[in-house]
Amino acid sequence: MDTSISNKISLTILLLIVGVFILFGLDLFLGSVNIPFKSICSILIGETAEKETWKIIIFQSRLPKAIAAILCGSALSVCGLQMQTLFRNPLAGPYILGISSGAGLGVAIFIMGLSFLGISGSAVTLSANSGIIIASILGSFGVLTILLSVISRLKDIMTVLILGIMIGSVITAIIGIIQYFSNDAQLKSFIMWTMGNLSSVTNDQLNLLLPVVVIGLILSFISSKSLNAYLLGEAYAKSLGVNIKKSRILIIIITSILTGSITAYCGPIGFIGIVIPHLARMISNSSDHRILTPLSILLGINVLLISDIISQLPGLDQNLPINSITSLIGIPFIIWIILKNKKIANLN
Amino acid sequence: MSKELNISSLTVGYNNKPTLKNISILSDKNMMIGVFGRNGQGKSTLLKTISGLLPTISGQFNFNGIDILNISEKERAKLLSIVSTTKSSIGAIKVQDFVAFGRFPYTNWLGINKVKDYQEIDKAIKLCKLERFANRNYDELSDGEKQKVNIARAIAQNTPLIILDEPTVHLDLINTIEVFKLLRELVKTHSKTVIISTHQMEYALQICDQIWLINEGKVESLSPAEIISQEKLTELFDDDLISFDKNSQSFRLK
Repeated sequence: MDTSISNKISLTILLLIVGVFILFGLDLFLGSVNIPFKSICSILIGETAEKETWKIIIFQSRLPKAIAAILCGSALSVCGLQMQTLFRNPLAGPYILGISSGAGLGVAIFIMGLSFLGISGSAVTLSANSGIIIASILGSFGVLTILLSVISRLKDIMTVLILGIMIGSVITAIIGIIQYFSNDAQLKSFIMWTMGNLSSVTNDQLNLLLPVVVIGLILSFISSKSLNAYLLGEAYAKSLGVNIKKSRILIIIITSILTGSITAYCGPIGFIGIVIPHLARMISNSSDHRILTPLSILLGINVLLISDIISQLPGLDQNLPINSITSLIGIPFIIWIILKNKKIANLN
Repeated sequence: MSKELNISSLTVGYNNKPTLKNISILSDKNMMIGVFGRNGQGKSTLLKTISGLLPTISGQFNFNGIDILNISEKERAKLLSIVSTTKSSIGAIKVQDFVAFGRFPYTNWLGINKVKDYQEIDKAIKLCKLERFANRNYDELSDGEKQKVNIARAIAQNTPLIILDEPTVHLDLINTIEVFKLLRELVKTHSKTVIISTHQMEYALQICDQIWLINEGKVESLSPAEIISQEKLTELFDDDLISFDKNSQSFRLK
């Protein structure tokens, strides 16, 4: 736990920060409507735009989308990092372990299931934004709690992954049943949600998402010390004075909040959570969460901004689904990790 | 009845099923205590319980007048450190940083080491003769080296009591003896109390001050001389395969 961060890591962090600014600019610049870079700058600093539509495009579409990409990239990467340490499993991540599905179930129950309980649709729409986020967080929390209660009995990483897939399937089945019993309007709004992506995040939602994610990220940095102790295994962590129950619950709450809130508005986005922490470990050659957490945040932001830029390359009228892009980037990387590091199949 | 190490009416086991019932032991501190017993007799269960890793079924463990199992993890971490056979599946970490984990109970929320912490880390590394490994990766070390790093981490934790559960199980003879000698030195020159379970009984008899013998649900505390003179080890392996020879103080095949 050497506190002096080496020059190489400081330089990497600096480069990544510069990267965030460049990619953020590019993300605002690129899109189906061509707006000159100069005009974007003047719109952003509040000057009058040459065309009023440009202003609307920037403020209502591109800026919220770019901010959503930043929040998404940082939150999911940190979640992946925490889960890999908590579950002692290099392939853990919010998507693969079914935690995003859990968030989906929460949303499905909120949008379609509440009428069973006699709550009218209009009451729901009023509080829709905050309701969806809470439902989604509770859904992630549920799956994480189930996983954690059985995971100590499972020594093999593959069993854990199969369990994650099974949880995902069970949840899909439950959502199917809920869909079957819901009316057309509810069904439509749920289907719209499942197709959700970064561009569907509204400014109102951002007002809620931004503080939630920032708090989650701060809490995860604060947990760095106990996460470091977890690397030694639970018994050693306990012998070093870590209150296992308390820190476990804190980490689960942080992960649920981050995954849940992101999934609530952006839909499930895969593989960022697995890949980024590995990338951070490879770059820093360190296991220290005080380095890995900020590094994962920055790497996650960069990768998600790149994915978002790819999804809206000029010449495309429509945005490609962001989930497809992150999967196409992420899966080859995961296969490479598995091939390179055969030890990955063993937990201990 | 004023011994510093006092186990009283302790019943240990998993899921409320007692493995060892009603253990009572009085020992002095500043000793090296060996724990003997055949596999499955409850050595690990006993050590895990007195380390606070496993809840007690009933009873107490007092060390230096402190009821060690009824204090917070944080307070306990300053009194007691552990070394076990569990290997840490930690990725990239330098030996020095691994040993620094021992300072965990003393550092602030972010785990920043101060001068005093660095001194303790250096001291532990020197005691375990790990200087030339300090900047190597923990991952690249052999099992014996890893176990020494683990012991160095426990030393850096600077606790009066160190509990080791079969620390020599993956080690060859030379590494085993080195670990024993190192622990002996900790007891002699650094006034530590060491409790160590091991199957290397012939060597442990030569180096321990006291032996806790676990056999058929009972725990006895005896001196090595008593163990030998009362033929306790032949009794322990109560079958026709081996016996313990008093004169050569070693096991003989029958």
